[in-house]
Order: sequence, then structure tokens, then C-alpha cells
Amino acid sequence: MSNLVRAELVKIRTTSTWWIMTLIYLPLWGITLAFNWLQTDALTRTRLDDVPAEQSEAVGAVAQPDALAANLYTNGQFFGLLMVMLLGIVVVTGEFFHQTVTTTFLTTPRRSAVVLAKLAATACLALIFWLVTTSANLLAGPAVLEVVGVSAQWGSAVWEAVVLNGLAYLLWAFFGVGLGTLIRSQLGATVTGILLYLGGTIGALTVLVMAANRFGDWINNLQLLVPSLASALMTTGVDIPGEPPRWAGAAVLIGYGLLSGLIGILIMRRRDVS
Amino acid sequence: MTDGRSSPNTTGEIVVSRLTKIYGNARAVNDLSFRVEPGRVTGFLGPNGAGKTTTLRMLLNLVTPTAGQATIGGRRYADLTDPVRHVGAVLEASSAHKGRTGINHLRVICTAAGLPRSRADEVLTQVGLAPAAQRKFKGYSLGMKQRLGIAAAMLGDPRVLILDEPANGLDPEGIRWMRGFLKSLAAEGRTVLVSSHLLSEMQLLADDVVIIAAGRLIRQGPVDRVIGSMAQTARVRVRSPQAETLRAALEQQSATVDVDDQGALLVRGVDAPTIGRVALAASVELHELATERPDLEGVFLELTAGKAGIR
Repeated sequence: MSNLVRAELVKIRTTSTWWIMTLIYLPLWGITLAFNWLQTDALTRTRLDDVPAEQSEAVGAVAQPDALAANLYTNGQFFGLLMVMLLGIVVVTGEFFHQTVTTTFLTTPRRSAVVLAKLAATACLALIFWLVTTSANLLAGPAVLEVVGVSAQWGSAVWEAVVLNGLAYLLWAFFGVGLGTLIRSQLGATVTGILLYLGGTIGALTVLVMAANRFGDWINNLQLLVPSLASALMTTGVDIPGEPPRWAGAAVLIGYGLLSGLIGILIMRRRDVS
Repeated sequence: MTDGRSSPNTTGEIVVSRLTKIYGNARAVNDLSFRVEPGRVTGFLGPNGAGKTTTLRMLLNLVTPTAGQATIGGRRYADLTDPVRHVGAVLEASSAHKGRTGINHLRVICTAAGLPRSRADEVLTQVGLAPAAQRKFKGYSLGMKQRLGIAAAMLGDPRVLILDEPANGLDPEGIRWMRGFLKSLAAEGRTVLVSSHLLSEMQLLADDVVIIAAGRLIRQGPVDRVIGSMAQTARVRVRSPQAETLRAALEQQSATVDVDDQGALLVRGVDAPTIGRVALAASVELHELATERPDLEGVFLELTAGKAGIR
């Protein structure tokens, strides 16, 4: 099995996908840092009296120093998760696109092992993404906090957010692999993934807000079922009033991650390669 | 082969038994059975769409049979503990990542199969591709891609080689190289199964042939015997200035006589000595009397007539 994981890592390393993704990701990380800087700055200046009463609790929660720090130390998550999901997609669909899947299954007829190796290799890559991003955040984050006049926070709530952020990277990598096995076409899987991630988030938020206005606030809890919202919730650093608890977001994501891995294995085992 | 890894009672024999694959309503492979012996090159022949590739892919566990099974050395491919060390397969020339170098393509396989990375360099040299080791796959010619495929198949020094149309895209020099290479592998006691539709090439290369059409076995056996089995229908070409007289005389001997576009008679059902005697008795002058021995191509076309093509 370790041979297979190493082979998958060699496959990734010997093609250009990983550094193209990295090149795309770097400026996006910078943009989100700038955005979060502005947001942090705005939140520290907000006087709760100015905020509509029904939102004041929530805004108060995210304006806590722990929440501000957690947000900065998990900076880049929005695009980082997208990148590792795309990598997961490419790790699977690339095999069909370049017809290398024939060689792969000839070398290893145990297809479940191949999918597991792909999950493991993509997980390694996701953790590297997370590690590098987090290192950069831990340098940039305190600097931003200093500028806006909040002292750098190193409490357990902050570290919890950082670790859960790593879990999010891991699980989105798994979604990518699962999606890649569901949709064999590289283009199809990539477009679907991006639409689900970006459009899904915005679309689901819009629908949920409208539904919550009509049917009551409990609807807000349904945002847990939208993977990208669940992972954002998981890393807020503090529990926000009116929204589901963070652990629920983690549980939902783990469920999705396991599900996509399992579906991936089942599909790969049955599929004819011709 | 006195290979330490192969246990004595598992030969490299390939046994296909009652293999069937149905796609929708089409029977791509239909109750197909044949054997492939070690130490010989076996040509796997059939018109386009006959089910050759599907059969090979079922043999290699890439496609699941609807019914029947195929074994290599008594075991299904999926059950081989170390498939790369038992079986080498070359299925399509374009099955490497375009952006990966040839040597890295082989190293990926080495890593997955637990082979030393040095094998990648060795097989590249073996197929004459060492100078292009660091070149990306997209820069390879079709012939180089075929050689890389063969190099990949040789990584585990397997006892069984399975090649799907390996001569596609090779130039005459490459085809001659391939022929020598495969013959030498068979001479070492390995099993070599090669599918092709290039019949003249197969006649030079193969010891045995398996001919299929429309997913069914048409004939199998040593090349000479398969050709010989059709020799009853060998035809004799006869030229004569009194062709019509001779034709009437031959038809009385229950021969079938056709006329080709150059006016020569093509006679079936009687052999050349008989024709000579008939001509003598009828006082007909003969200018040419030649038995046309069928070659593999002729036999193939006759055997698969009307069974080719799209179903």
C-alpha cells in the first residue's frame, strides 16, 4: 500500500498540475489576506449600537479577538479548499484523460487499493497546502492584528480553528477524488466542482436566507448540509449565536468525505476500462 | 524458463474459456475459447470490431466478462499477487501522461510494483529508447510510444507478454525490430500473444494463430496447419489459347471454373495434374499451369468473409 501511495505522489510530482495550482493559489491567498485585513479593521471599528438589533449578537461574536484571529490564521481557506478539491479531481480524471488508467490498473488490479492510495496521496498534498498556508498566515495574521490594534491571540480557540482548517483541507481533497470518480471527464468534473463550490455556496445562502425569512430561523441550521458553508462554520473559532455549533460542521464534512471516498471506490471497482 | 520466481507447475499458458461480453444488445465477444502456449508467438487475428481488444482487456481484468473466464498460468489476472512480474501488456500506444517524461512514466510503475527504479533505465536501453529518456511523452513519435509501451511491459521481466496491435505506427525498421524482439522473447520460453490485422506481418512473426470474427472463434492452430486446412480450396491458374474448350472439359470433371480479368481460368475442385491430363485428352494447349497456395491473408479473408465489420 505504501508503494501505491508513493507511486501516486510520484505521478503528481512528475507533472505540472501541482505547481500550476500553486501559482494560481498564491495571488488568491494575497487577495483574501487583503480582504480579511479590511474586514478585521472594519469589525474592530464597529460599534454594536450601529448594527441592527437582530444581528448585533452575531456581529459581536465574530468581532471577538479570538474570532478575528481565527479568521486571519485560517486565511486563504476559501480558495485553498477549492484548489485541493481541484487537485483531487485531477488526480482521478487525469488518469482517464491521459488514458494512464489502463497502466495503473494493469500494475495494480486491486482497484480499491488504487483509490485509497489516491485518497492518501491527495490528503498528503492537501496537508502540505494547509501547512504552507498556515505558516504564511501565522506570520501575516499577527501583523494585521497589530495594525488594527488587537493583540495577537494564541488561545486554544485559535489553535482549534487552525487544526479544524487542516481537517477541512483534508476533506475537500477527498470530495475532489470522489467527484473525479463520479464524473470521469476532466472538464466536466472541474466545472461541476467549481460550480458546486462557488455557485453552491452563494445559491444555497440566498435560498436559505429567503427560506429562513419565510419559515423561521431554524432553517439557518440547514446551511450545515452545504459542504462549503459547513467548512466555513467549522473554522470560525467561536460559536456564533443563531448558527449551528462548530462541531456539527465538522461532523457533516467528515460524513461527506467518507461518503465520497466510498462512492469513489465502489464506482472504480465496477467500471470497465476500455 | 528457469526463472527462480516462477513455480514449476504454473506455466505461462493462457486459457480463454467460454468468454462472453455483451454491450447493450451487441455481443462483442461470444462464447470464445482458445489456448495460448508458452514458447511460441501466437497471432490473435480478426477484422476490425471482431472483439480482439475486448478479449485482451477481459484477460487483463480491465473489462468484466458477462460470462466465462480467462486465466494466465491458471489464475485470473486479478488474482495474481505480483502481476507486473508475471504479465507484461501493451494495449495502446498513447497511454502515458503527455507532460511526463518517458523515464518518469516507467518509474511510476516501478514504484507502484515495488521494482527497483534502475529497471526503468534498463528496459529503456533494451528497447533502444535511452536517448529519449528525459523527453516528455508528447514529444514522442508513434513508434517511440510503442517502444515505451513495450519497455513498460518488460519492467517486471514477465513470462507472459500480451500486445494489442504493437506494429501500429511503426516504420519498416521498427516492425523488423519488433519481430526480432518478440521472437527472441518466445525463444526464451515466454508466452507471446499479439493481436494484429497486418496479416503478412503475422505470417512472418507468428507460430500459432487464433482467428476470430464477430466475437467467435473461427480457427486456431499453428500457422502452417491453418493455411494447410484451406489448401483443398486451393485454386489453379490456367492459361490456354483454347480456354473455352478447356473450361467445358474441366467442368465435366466437376471442377469450378472462373475467368479472371486477364482471361486466365481459375480452377477449383481439381488439382494441377488432373487439369494437365484433361488438357492433354482434349488436345488443348497450355501456357500456364500454377497452383496458387493460399497465404494467411487469403485464408483469413476466406474464413472471415461476411463476418467482418460493424454489428
